[in-house]
Amino acid sequence: MDIRPKVLVTKIGLDGHDRGSRVVAAHLRDAGMEVVYTPPWQKIEAVVKLAMEEDVDVIGVSSLATDHLIVPKLMAALRDAGLTDVVVIVGGIVPDADEQALLDVGVARVFHPGSPLDEISAYITEATARVRAARFPA
Amino acid sequence: MKRDATAVGAHARPDVALRLAAIRAGERAAIARAITAIENDIASARALSAALAADAGRAHVVGVTGPPGAGKSTLINALLAEFAARGRRIAVVAIDPSSPITGGAVLGDRVRMHAAGAAESVFIRSLASRGHAGGLAKATRRIVDLLDAAGFDAIVVETVGAGQSDVGIAALADTSVVVCPPGLGDDVQAIKAGILEIADVLVVNKGDQPAADRTEQELRDMLRLRAHRPGWAVRVLRTVATTGDGVPALVDALDAHATDAGRGRRLARAPAPPAATAVESRLRGFCAADPYQRLNALEFVESGPGTVTMRMRVAPQHLNFNGKCHGGAIFTLADSAFGVAANAYGVVAAGIDTHTTFQVAVSEGDVLTARSLEVSRNAKIAVYRVDVTRGDGTVVASFTGTVFMTRRPHQARPDDLRP
Repeated sequence: MDIRPKVLVTKIGLDGHDRGSRVVAAHLRDAGMEVVYTPPWQKIEAVVKLAMEEDVDVIGVSSLATDHLIVPKLMAALRDAGLTDVVVIVGGIVPDADEQALLDVGVARVFHPGSPLDEISAYITEATARVRAARFPA
Repeated sequence: MKRDATAVGAHARPDVALRLAAIRAGERAAIARAITAIENDIASARALSAALAADAGRAHVVGVTGPPGAGKSTLINALLAEFAARGRRIAVVAIDPSSPITGGAVLGDRVRMHAAGAAESVFIRSLASRGHAGGLAKATRRIVDLLDAAGFDAIVVETVGAGQSDVGIAALADTSVVVCPPGLGDDVQAIKAGILEIADVLVVNKGDQPAADRTEQELRDMLRLRAHRPGWAVRVLRTVATTGDGVPALVDALDAHATDAGRGRRLARAPAPPAATAVESRLRGFCAADPYQRLNALEFVESGPGTVTMRMRVAPQHLNFNGKCHGGAIFTLADSAFGVAANAYGVVAAGIDTHTTFQVAVSEGDVLTARSLEVSRNAKIAVYRVDVTRGDGTVVASFTGTVFMTRRPHQARPDDLRP
């Protein structure tokens, strides 16, 4: 089976600093992944609908100006929609004090400033293999 | 029905029959997961596609192609709004190119369908072309068939930004729309011989730009010079996708093409003979030859791979001393749906164990439906689950049953019985 990760790179909330999400999206594409990219300011319902219809393996949420504080709402909405097997990662500026709260609501991993791009893509590749194995048991 | 589909989804079993039911019920997550299976050519997807093929051919498939930057995605966004206003359920398959070097892709088309794409009546899926030529992805046709079976009224396929030879869409779509941006002069020349020839409807998008007049005129001239073809007269329309100007007229043109006798290639195609017909008639025969089913006035409704649906109207003969439907009558209905499904494989399947729970009391006059689903099967043993539902969708009884597959054939030829 061809495991080519399908990743949603998005931003929720009001912060428009999208350089980071663009850089990550381009890197994931160059790492051979299929990336659904959205501009900033996405509504949570729109992200859930998109993740479901595109059947993505991983959702990467970029947050540079406190948008990470609404990630728990996104996690709840994903759960309500039955999307419990999507791996959610958050990248950007997340104060250490807030990181545990994100992990507690089911975020798989937080990537802080300075994270090597290769580390992000390696993590997504590994997470996708797990997700796909569960979704399509041999 | 809706409730039944939800119950099926909740079990999240990989079984084809279960997924079929969820897809036919239009369950968004089940459709999306099946597309992934088809796209990645996962083994079970082939059985699913084969089973769904018989359902295809109802939706109107609209192909939208044109050079990069013509405004295809934005025009589709406007189309979605107009379709929604007309009360239609629409699926979009948007194809973006994969990198020829890394295989990666950024799928950005649906971003431009953001406004209309949020509606519940719309399902959008992005595909990467994965090196497939012709402006489509390899699995596009099977994915369109799946969306067709899922009950969408129309399926819009957006190709990769197209050049001269990307005409694969014509073989897939009922109606091909070629979108031309205004003022491209030489570029329009370049595509004249290629994709312009496959157009059923030509759209000059960005129609508010000054050069649009000239582009529209060039296209009309081209059509006039072309050898006359009988039947559908290609239409040239002007749209402004960002404002929606001209979009209602475009939908009218699509509808006209779809209903114009003999024009819709896909709609006109004779419906594929359902593969299950021979099996189904054999299963009906089992029921007709079953004295106990007749005694209880059971009715065979339909069958599919691994599944049989039967019905019973609760009559005075089915009641117990409390005036409610007798558990034995409900069991008989469930047991029959189970037994008939298990005997679809050409050998006698002998029931060896069942378990039933009765959740809700049933009254005279209720119409009960039992639907069996194959949970597992090997050469010797098969396991089925049956839900018995009342007319309002309430599950009144749940049944599981196990059969032993004997090697003894039915009197019929095994070939007739293969599902």
